[in-house]
Amino acid sequence: MSSGCPPQSPAVAKSEVAVEGECPLLAATFAYWDNILGPRVRHIWTPRGDQLMFLSDGEVTFLANHTLNGEILRSAECGAVDVKFFVLAEKGVIIVSLIFDGELKGDKNTCALSIVLPQTELAFYLPLHTICVERLKHVIRKGRIWMQKGYNIISVLSLEIVPIMELLASMKSHSVPEDINIKDTVLNDDDIGDSCHEDFLHKAISSHLQTCGCSIVVGSNPEKVNKIVRTLCLFLTPAERKCSRLCKADSSFKYDTGLFVQGLLKDSTGSFVLPFRQVLYSPYPTTHIDVDINTVKQMPPCHEHTYNQRRYMRSELSALWKTDSEEDIPPDTVIHTDESFTPDLNIFQDVMHKDTLVKSFIDEVFMLKPGLSLRSTYLSQFLLLLHRKALTLLKYIEDDTQKGKKPFRSLRNLKTDLDLTVEGDLNVVMAFAEKLRAGLHSFVFGKPFYTSMQERDMLMSF
Amino acid sequence: MIGSPDVVAFTKEDEYGQTNPDPWALPEEFSVPLHPLADSNPWAKTSYAKFTKDFILISEFSEQVGPQPLLTIPDEPKVCGTFDLNYFSLRIMSVDYQASFVGHPPGSGYPRLSFVEDSRVVLGDSKEGAFAYVHHLTLYDLEARGFVRPFCMAYVSADERKIMLQFQELSLRFSQASECLKAGNRRAFAKELQRKLRDLEYTHSVLQREEGLQREAGPQCMYSAHAVDKANELANVEKSIYEHRDLLRQISSYHHRPRRDPNAVTCQKCVTECLSECEQLLDKYAKLANPFSYTNKRGKREEGQGQVDEEGGGEEVDEEEGVKRRPSYTPQLIKARSAKCFDKRLKTLRELCDNPFYEATVDLLKGTERSFRGDLCYLHTRRLDRALRTKQRVTNFLFEEDLGDDDEDEGGTLRPFCAVNHAVDTFTLLNPPPIVLGPEPLELDALELPDPVDPASVTSHTRENELGLVESHLESSPSDQTLETQGSSEETKGSFGSDKSGTGPAERQQNLACMKSEAPDSDLTPDPEPDHNTDLERESSSEEMETTAGEDDGDGTPVSLLELVSELEGSREDECDGVTDGACEMQSDLLVPLDTACCMSQEGFLYEASAPEAVPRLGQSSHLQPCETLVVNQEPQALLHLQDDYAVGVGSPSSESPAAGLELPVGLLGDAVSRTSAEDGFDCTMSASTGSDRTASPLGYGGVVTLRQRKKAGQGALRFVRQYPFAMQALWCLLSGRTLVVLGADEGTVRRLVAALALFVPGPGKCGERVQAWLSCPFTLTDLQRWKLVGLQRVASPVGSSMLYSLSRYSRYISILDADQKTLRCPSYRGQLLSKIADHRTYIRRGSTYFLHLQSTLCHLAAKAFLFTFTHHLHLPVSSTEGPEVVEGRRLCFLREQLGLGDEDSQILLYLSQLITQQYLQPAAGSRAAAASFSFNYTTSVFYKI
Repeated sequence: MSSGCPPQSPAVAKSEVAVEGECPLLAATFAYWDNILGPRVRHIWTPRGDQLMFLSDGEVTFLANHTLNGEILRSAECGAVDVKFFVLAEKGVIIVSLIFDGELKGDKNTCALSIVLPQTELAFYLPLHTICVERLKHVIRKGRIWMQKGYNIISVLSLEIVPIMELLASMKSHSVPEDINIKDTVLNDDDIGDSCHEDFLHKAISSHLQTCGCSIVVGSNPEKVNKIVRTLCLFLTPAERKCSRLCKADSSFKYDTGLFVQGLLKDSTGSFVLPFRQVLYSPYPTTHIDVDINTVKQMPPCHEHTYNQRRYMRSELSALWKTDSEEDIPPDTVIHTDESFTPDLNIFQDVMHKDTLVKSFIDEVFMLKPGLSLRSTYLSQFLLLLHRKALTLLKYIEDDTQKGKKPFRSLRNLKTDLDLTVEGDLNVVMAFAEKLRAGLHSFVFGKPFYTSMQERDMLMSF
Repeated sequence: MIGSPDVVAFTKEDEYGQTNPDPWALPEEFSVPLHPLADSNPWAKTSYAKFTKDFILISEFSEQVGPQPLLTIPDEPKVCGTFDLNYFSLRIMSVDYQASFVGHPPGSGYPRLSFVEDSRVVLGDSKEGAFAYVHHLTLYDLEARGFVRPFCMAYVSADERKIMLQFQELSLRFSQASECLKAGNRRAFAKELQRKLRDLEYTHSVLQREEGLQREAGPQCMYSAHAVDKANELANVEKSIYEHRDLLRQISSYHHRPRRDPNAVTCQKCVTECLSECEQLLDKYAKLANPFSYTNKRGKREEGQGQVDEEGGGEEVDEEEGVKRRPSYTPQLIKARSAKCFDKRLKTLRELCDNPFYEATVDLLKGTERSFRGDLCYLHTRRLDRALRTKQRVTNFLFEEDLGDDDEDEGGTLRPFCAVNHAVDTFTLLNPPPIVLGPEPLELDALELPDPVDPASVTSHTRENELGLVESHLESSPSDQTLETQGSSEETKGSFGSDKSGTGPAERQQNLACMKSEAPDSDLTPDPEPDHNTDLERESSSEEMETTAGEDDGDGTPVSLLELVSELEGSREDECDGVTDGACEMQSDLLVPLDTACCMSQEGFLYEASAPEAVPRLGQSSHLQPCETLVVNQEPQALLHLQDDYAVGVGSPSSESPAAGLELPVGLLGDAVSRTSAEDGFDCTMSASTGSDRTASPLGYGGVVTLRQRKKAGQGALRFVRQYPFAMQALWCLLSGRTLVVLGADEGTVRRLVAALALFVPGPGKCGERVQAWLSCPFTLTDLQRWKLVGLQRVASPVGSSMLYSLSRYSRYISILDADQKTLRCPSYRGQLLSKIADHRTYIRRGSTYFLHLQSTLCHLAAKAFLFTFTHHLHLPVSSTEGPEVVEGRRLCFLREQLGLGDEDSQILLYLSQLITQQYLQPAAGSRAAAASFSFNYTTSVFYKI
């Protein structure tokens, strides 16, 4: 490290977080721009456990201060959270900084919440960047409210910093590899019903694809769970696989928002409690697969999911805003405080729409001899087909609406022209397209949905 | 009437409206929007940026004026629009990215050069809607404060996600550019030091002489103030010499230091040569330990040729030998006080770097800008597409463009190479980053130059040479390079695509003439909006097809088998020369007696055909078995060497070399080579055979068919589908392996139609060998072997009558699309498989969208064919008692029951499967194998017209 580091400020508070396993995160910091003293570090979180590299507090402070450099020019809108990403080869670290404005001691200050990782973890971290950033952004929203009330933001930020350390540590040990050997999946079975029931497999994969490749697999047998996790991951891109996690053999990880596929082990009582809030905060709707009882449930499609998610977020922030005491940080449980919004707890529903694309693929792939690369080739053909169909659908809508300038009114024509008349097929292709162009579901299906929701709310208010 | 007080009572806001703010309501700035902009328009996320497309910005933190933009790539003012580059430069350069000490450290005798690793930052200005990947680097400048000049190269985009998702690719490309720039800068810096040392040496000698003179002139024991000044000045110069010598030593040791950046990209040859160059300089100036030796040299210098020029400038002379001789450097006298900081002019970026390196850097950045151009979702899908296609090489030949030669994808491919044209084997990536979006093969071989250019002698090449080499690396894909081996002339290459500016004047004239001649052609005029009324009319008119008596219609001369056989054998003699004798002998084995019960019994014999595909096998190599061997009936274990990766030669240039097989160079065609307008796109390079010169059958496209050309053809295909209600029949012919002849008088019309229809030809060959865009002479059965789509000129002459004769003669093997009469004669198609790609009522508006739709449909077909081909139990007898009929029945049953296909649709799958099998079993034969069959079955043809 540089010899020119300033001495550590005695005012910097530090929390050590006990993390199981090897945590790639070196530190997390909260810094702010003091109008007299310039950049100041307020708090440092460091993992206690196996670390890849050691940074002294002085070095962490030095780096954290630098994340605020240049931010005196910041002209962002109030409430905006900007992300800065540094790869400092000279220091051998990566820093991810979220810059935002907040009120400290009555003054508006520019603040930075940062996480520091070794540069050697760049390839590991990059696929997880969006997950970390989105989760930190939301905790910053809560932190800003806390700051506005004059309370200590650190306690709020800790609510997410610690789980992110745990997430990164768990991903380090249990992430799904980029290249999955088809032999470790259900697709290597001699026949379709060998590992699991034919209809279950079809339903699981179909729903998994309809929910943009986002699924949780729960069960009591870790091998069985992981086999399904790997099978579902076959249908993801390499980058998405890096955002998926196998289940631990002995005990279960906690559910983590933002991962694509995660395997979770049931406890000794045969149950797994799924946190409602975290599942709702996932960027995409989720498929719930129970390998013990062969059930597949799915959340509503993207536009409904996003709408529910935002309403819940608003409720949560509202509840925080109305809190009277610093000690009363609302727990991450269901919020009932907002009269205008009652979350529907029954978010997992049966898979309504059957498709033909996945059905025929599942039927056909088992006809090819296992143990060779025939099935892998056929799988890649299937995925290529889905990606191409998604791009065609996007282009079709783009042409029809002049890149969104006009509303899309010709869904029926689209279905006919692109051979997507079966609802399940359309859902699968739309899900692929949503990942390419976020907001597509809301654009295509949103208006009638919002109208119906408004009408429902109106009726409920009487 | 309601009075105003009543109205006011009902409009009182605090009771009925929502305007009264709730003190407990969460302010919007602390909340999340319920309906963000992306919901109402997913394309609008980046629309508030003040620039229209991504660009690269190079900025400097100038010690005189602060952060300033230097140049943008592309260098057009309209790219940045009203975006404030000055402000943005300030923003990106104000990040204290290095925080490392530079300059004169305490306790050190001499100034120290700071060797700082590059840093990479992604940041943005959410208000401006601008985000950037910023690559910070430091260059050395003797005149600059601390000898360093901080620069940055930024990729500016309105889409933050695009930058983060492609961070590693951006980082790799900018690291290449940075290393290139820094390598050039170190050379320039070393040269500058060299000059400076010469100046100092010269100044030292002058001062020394003056001091000596003064000492001699004055009294022995007294020193004047002037003499003391001189002595001090002399001491300063000596100190300066030592300092500069130390700097030279430091820059020489640059490469010895351990690199801390695992993502740095260095060319080993550049490193070695720059190092040796610096060490030479160091050695040279280490000899000047006694600076006073210059006095002696000066004595000689005054006599004639300057010694310094001989020594110091010698290298420059060597370097520039063969190009131009720069005036050798004359040492300058250095004044005691240098100019004030703000008086001096700082060197420009170009001056800071050796020119070839600078040019190479700019070229690299231009390439980077090009490769990341476009919307993220298309870039992303393109890479995924490519990654997936690499896993299915066994079927790619059917409908996919060549993986290695896709110039569209070139951008997405990371091609590490030295920017100054060192061979790729010298390239070192300290820690090659995995690609986030998808694996991309590194196409190193294609980039390897036979004669690597030495950077030490880089300046000895002409500038044109330098640029030419760099251009060829950056601009031309391997596909372009292979053009020369395709037998197509340079002018053909030049006329490729309408958007290329390399078209010669003569060609342009020809093109112009063709454009004029094509003006009246209304056959494929653009039809932006579907006219439903017209479509309906067409639909109804298409019902009025005339059913004819198949081959008997217009074919008064029954062709005897002997004639056919003799013709085939005669025409194949030449081919057989190149094949083993056994292969020729196989032909006779393939002859089997025809079932006399058949309606075509008068023809006596035909080649053995396994119903329903009834594919005569021609031109097989010796090991290909008749009929049964058309399926993969070997146990997969026997083919394990192929199964790890289906690299069965599809991708290898040799397997589908256009020079192989039946193809002959275009150059032989002479007068028949013709061109159409530039708007024809790729088909303008197709050429024609003429007269009786049958052996001069040309290449289909004259070069490797690229994705861009195929996309262009998509527009034509959409028009065809919309304008011809019987398009489905024509497409079915192509997809089921029946040769389609497009007949027409106007070359442009025919060529355009052929170009559009070529998209549907399975296994068209890397260069479109299965397609003959324009033929002005009668064709033979051999031609039908090699061509699946033929554009045929209609002429009113004796040649024309013989052409019509050939048409009618082979009408049972071919379908005829008359572009003038707008009619089609072919067997009828009643399947469902093609209904989605040939629906003339489609609402697909654009050719590019239709092309995507087509791609996915054809990909689906290829997948089904793959499944059919490699489902082993279908093709193998379950027991020894099972005969071939049972196996055949099982195959047909699979097509009907499992895949739900009718007879006509099954024919498509059977044909595709047959091609896959040939390709799989005979990868070396490649396209030849595919050429050796054509479909024929006893079905009547139907005459369709609009």
